[in-house]
Amino acid sequence: MDDMTRGAASVPARLDQRPTRPARGAAWAVAGLAALSAGAALALRRRARPQRRLEGPPPVTLRVAKDLNRSAALLGLAALADSAVEHYRGSFHNPAMVTPLAVSTAVIGVSLFGTLDDRPRAHAVRDAAYGGAILTGAVGTGFHLFNVTKRPGGLSWLNLFYGAPIGAPSAVALAGLLGFFAERVRHTRPGEAPAKAPKVLGVPAADALAALVSLGILGTVAETALLHFRGAFHDPAMYLPMVVPPVGAALLAGTVLSGNGRPAMASTRAARWGLRATAALGFVGVGFHAFGVHRNMGGWRNWSQNILNGPPLPAPPSYTALALAGLATLSLEEDRRHAR
Amino acid sequence: MSGDRMFDDPMPDDPMEVPRATNGRAPDVFREGGWVPMREHSENEAVDFAIVGTGAGGGTLACKLAEAGFSVVAFDAGPYWRPLEDFASDETEQRKLFWTEDRLCDGDDPLKLGDNNSGRSVGGSTVHYAMVSLRFRPEWFQSRSKLGYGADWPIDWREMWRYYQEVERTLQISGPLSYPWGPKRPRYPRRPHELNAAALVLAKGAEALGIDWAPTPIATLSSPHGKAPPCVYRGFCTSGCSTNAKQSVLNTWLPRALAAGAEIRDLAMVGRIETDRAGLVTGVHYHRDGQWRFQRARNVVVAGYAIETPRLLLNSATDRFPDGLANSSGLVGSNLMVQLNQAVWGSMAEEVRSYKAPPSLALTEHWNYADDGKDFFGGYCYMSQGPLPIVWARTLAGSRGLWGEALMRQMERYNHQVGLKMVGECLPQERNRVTLADETDRYGLPVARVTYSYCDNDKRMMRHALGFMGQALEAAGATDLWEERDDTCHLNGTARMGSDPATSVVDADCRSWDIPNLWICDGSVFPTVGGVNPSLTIQAIACRTADRIQALAGRGAL
Amino acid sequence: MPDETMPDNTSGRYPGYDVLAKRNGPSWNDKTRAVIDRRLAIDPEDHRIFDDAAWRTLKAVCDRIVPQPPKRAAPIPVAALLDRRLQEDRRDGHRDVRLPPIAEAWRRGLAALDAECRRAHDRPFHDLGPDQQDALLRAMQEGRLDDPAWEGMPSRLFFASRLLPDILEAYYSHPTAWNEIGFGGPASPRGYVRMGFDRRDPWEASEAKPGREDVAWEENRRVR
Ligand SMILES: Cc1cc2nc3c(=O)[nH]c(=O)nc-3n(C[C@H](O)[C@H](O)[C@H](O)COP(=O)(O)OP(=O)(O)OC[C@H]3O[C@@H](n4cnc5c(N)ncnc54)[C@H](O)[C@@H]3O)c2cc1C
Ligand code: SF4
Repeated sequence: MDDMTRGAASVPARLDQRPTRPARGAAWAVAGLAALSAGAALALRRRARPQRRLEGPPPVTLRVAKDLNRSAALLGLAALADSAVEHYRGSFHNPAMVTPLAVSTAVIGVSLFGTLDDRPRAHAVRDAAYGGAILTGAVGTGFHLFNVTKRPGGLSWLNLFYGAPIGAPSAVALAGLLGFFAERVRHTRPGEAPAKAPKVLGVPAADALAALVSLGILGTVAETALLHFRGAFHDPAMYLPMVVPPVGAALLAGTVLSGNGRPAMASTRAARWGLRATAALGFVGVGFHAFGVHRNMGGWRNWSQNILNGPPLPAPPSYTALALAGLATLSLEEDRRHAR
Repeated sequence: MSGDRMFDDPMPDDPMEVPRATNGRAPDVFREGGWVPMREHSENEAVDFAIVGTGAGGGTLACKLAEAGFSVVAFDAGPYWRPLEDFASDETEQRKLFWTEDRLCDGDDPLKLGDNNSGRSVGGSTVHYAMVSLRFRPEWFQSRSKLGYGADWPIDWREMWRYYQEVERTLQISGPLSYPWGPKRPRYPRRPHELNAAALVLAKGAEALGIDWAPTPIATLSSPHGKAPPCVYRGFCTSGCSTNAKQSVLNTWLPRALAAGAEIRDLAMVGRIETDRAGLVTGVHYHRDGQWRFQRARNVVVAGYAIETPRLLLNSATDRFPDGLANSSGLVGSNLMVQLNQAVWGSMAEEVRSYKAPPSLALTEHWNYADDGKDFFGGYCYMSQGPLPIVWARTLAGSRGLWGEALMRQMERYNHQVGLKMVGECLPQERNRVTLADETDRYGLPVARVTYSYCDNDKRMMRHALGFMGQALEAAGATDLWEERDDTCHLNGTARMGSDPATSVVDADCRSWDIPNLWICDGSVFPTVGGVNPSLTIQAIACRTADRIQALAGRGAL
Repeated sequence: MPDETMPDNTSGRYPGYDVLAKRNGPSWNDKTRAVIDRRLAIDPEDHRIFDDAAWRTLKAVCDRIVPQPPKRAAPIPVAALLDRRLQEDRRDGHRDVRLPPIAEAWRRGLAALDAECRRAHDRPFHDLGPDQQDALLRAMQEGRLDDPAWEGMPSRLFFASRLLPDILEAYYSHPTAWNEIGFGGPASPRGYVRMGFDRRDPWEASEAKPGREDVAWEENRRVR
């Protein structure tokens, strides 16, 4: 009480202080988003650019690689927005919490670069960024697991609901993996013609990608299931991601991984539609989540609370990103089939 | 009373001055300025049921009876709020939810209802309750035969288990996926809330002492439901919830009651129940819009809470029933049971800021279910706490006698304080009772005199709980511990149910032994209180009563 | 009006925190604004229940029970808040039989305190020095006052059930008191998000940790 009587005169001088942590986090997020939109604008200009190559349409591998870059960018964007919001909510209390923001921004950047790059070569910067993302995802999962288990109650439903989300860091890792695949699919040794059936680490790329994308979708579904369960599936629409993406994933895996037999056209078409529906769900989901924010107390006027406590706006586009990767996989698969 | 209204222009729609539920419509609690249609009943035609009080007992029963097709008029002395427009985030203003008219308290331990005061609102005390929604331990329904104290209920716990589930569904209780104590129960309709720091302290302490804890089953939404948004963790729950996340009688049972054709009369104080020469009740006299009125009814249900219920029964004495209605046993008003609400408080190095979120997000029922090592009968649970500034200042002053600089210094630590508070079972004693005082209220009706003294068992339980909670708080890292020894909460008893007319006021169906068309359906009917908050049990009893009334009517036994 | 109020707690535990800065933001609803505006508009000298003698005693008592920083620009009008409460006859819903109704208890209690003073010191309560005032209040708290002016009302009970709780209720109903203890204040429609240990939402008071007072000051100035 005594020092409450101290004069106020000295205080305003302190105003020019450095921003505090949450503010810095927000600044990061804003910067990342700004960089991203600039990149996106560039990407859109892509078609306007004159064809550099004279020898006809680009090989399928390049097209697929760029598609994968694009889906890595989108997944990176979702991860960036999600970790920005969640770690802002966590007040960036641990400095390491800015890592996923930086890394996913890098993923977005190099991925956009990839979509503009017509050379059939992997790029060291892209590989570095993608590798960093994979590592970040792995380490982040460890951090999150530690956070969950050290809370009272340990590995309980309550802590799975409200502790650091176990599944979230894998989104960063997934973005990195998609990018890593893009590089491998794109890469042709100097002098060689683009491979008809590129391989990744010795496995046919189409197979590896199909497995990655399907598992990625299933993992994302698991996380959605946990959070929608936390929300008591209060709206029937909350079951949609329990149904649509798993079907898409299953069709993709079924089409690509069905052994040596020649999958029927029908199955490819079904897979394509399943993945398109999954991609659409990502967009629709954002709409649903925006409605969810509106439905919370105070609606959008109370955004400073409801963005954080309401349904996460950036979450659903992960499905779009993964489904786009799945569609790219199908192109690769078709190409492989034509080659046979 | 709210604010300084008396100095302003009269408000066109002041729910404390002018009844809202009139002209065929009642307030829509989910929309500012909104209305829903309401069926109205003539005063001259006897309705099937006139219900006095629209709280946990009366409101629930009104809904269930209307849905069963009976004509129902429910009276409440309090206003009909629209929480979104009427509730301020302010402790002082929101005392308008309380029953503030004097009741005189005496005995060895005169009650200080304080902020545990009962409500005077459509929706009753559930408008400002803390939403903790617990089931009784099964043995408590037979505590006399199974545990050796108190009195047996005339109801089997398995039957109650069904009704508990009905109430939990209606209130969309958020609770843990598995509850550590008691027989298996169905999954709660909603997931548990995130714990605030105050609740984490409870959890840490329990884990350190090796006992179970759980996120509290609580009647506030953890996800949207109908027109209600989920909880925003504003922490003003016991001052009324201005978001409708809280699932009170006001925004759950009563909208359903209206839709099913019940009529609710707000600002309608029932002063007397009328009886005829045959010894049956014929209706209620009530005060509304400045005059006394009479509603004829084939049945009257009293549901005014454990003080106002006996008061009304006693105030309705006639030549034929000189000791008040339903009182041939002489037990109306007696066996009043509060619950022990002692606490241990301390201080954490970290910021706790327990004003955030509903006050009791974690609890342990360990001492409700463990019988070993107790030197007392009955049980208690304890919960985390989140007192707002006025309550907190008065707690410091009341328990420690602090004032002046000493108090101001303690108050500065507000954001670091943390506490564990018990809800403990008091034993029924006939000397603890509600009688009529000489003083009268603004209607000229004698007010209640409430006499209370702890028994030795109560005191032993207090000591046990304070000791244990102190250990738990210390184990969780709190320092500077001190005890709050004189708080009580919840009121029950005063018209107990039983299977013998000589030792109880109503039977298992809440029907009075003396007058077959007079019923009592609220916290008053509890023969014992158990060590958990009572409102879930009150509502379960009301659901059961409605089913029983329907069954009785079906075979012409009403 | 509230927007012009300078927070007077430029130092202390929550330097620069002013709960009224949130008045126009999402933490306050219309009802809350109306209620608090009315409370802030109370004239500190307005007394209709207490006569002038009782008023002077009451103000002196309040100054001892809830002492305020001498430099506080607009002290909390504790006595006027209490007078207003009595004007509106806002009761508790429970009353120890040994106490008369609230307004009568206050009238009698203050008169008795003055009588005790005049007997012991030959001066009214408000003329005594702080130490003497405290000593008398402590005697009341311990039930050692028994002048006939109490008319049978136990002084200890009056102190514990009326004087102390009623004054505290008045004091802590005021936003300035919330600033002092770092309470978030009104919170609807917007409540809170961050619930764990040592977590604050940007719209909550920031506590001055030793050596980080400047950070707290700055965070508190940004509370909206
Ligand atoms: C601060 C507080 C916190 C609580 N927290 C919890 C909790 O967390 N969990 C829990 O289970 N319980 C809690 N309770 C207890 C719970 O609210 C009550 O036990 C329950 O509401 C009692 O139900 P009832 O039907 O007996 O009476 P009430 O719900 O109080 O309803 C009685 C109604 O009757 C009306 N009435 C009375 N007399 C008359 C009359 N003569 N004429 C017209 N109307 C009349 C009153 O106005 C009132 O609205 C809490 C209570 C309080 C005060
Ligand atoms: S904390 Fe939740 S239940 Fe309590 S008042 Fe706020 S919104 Fe309502």
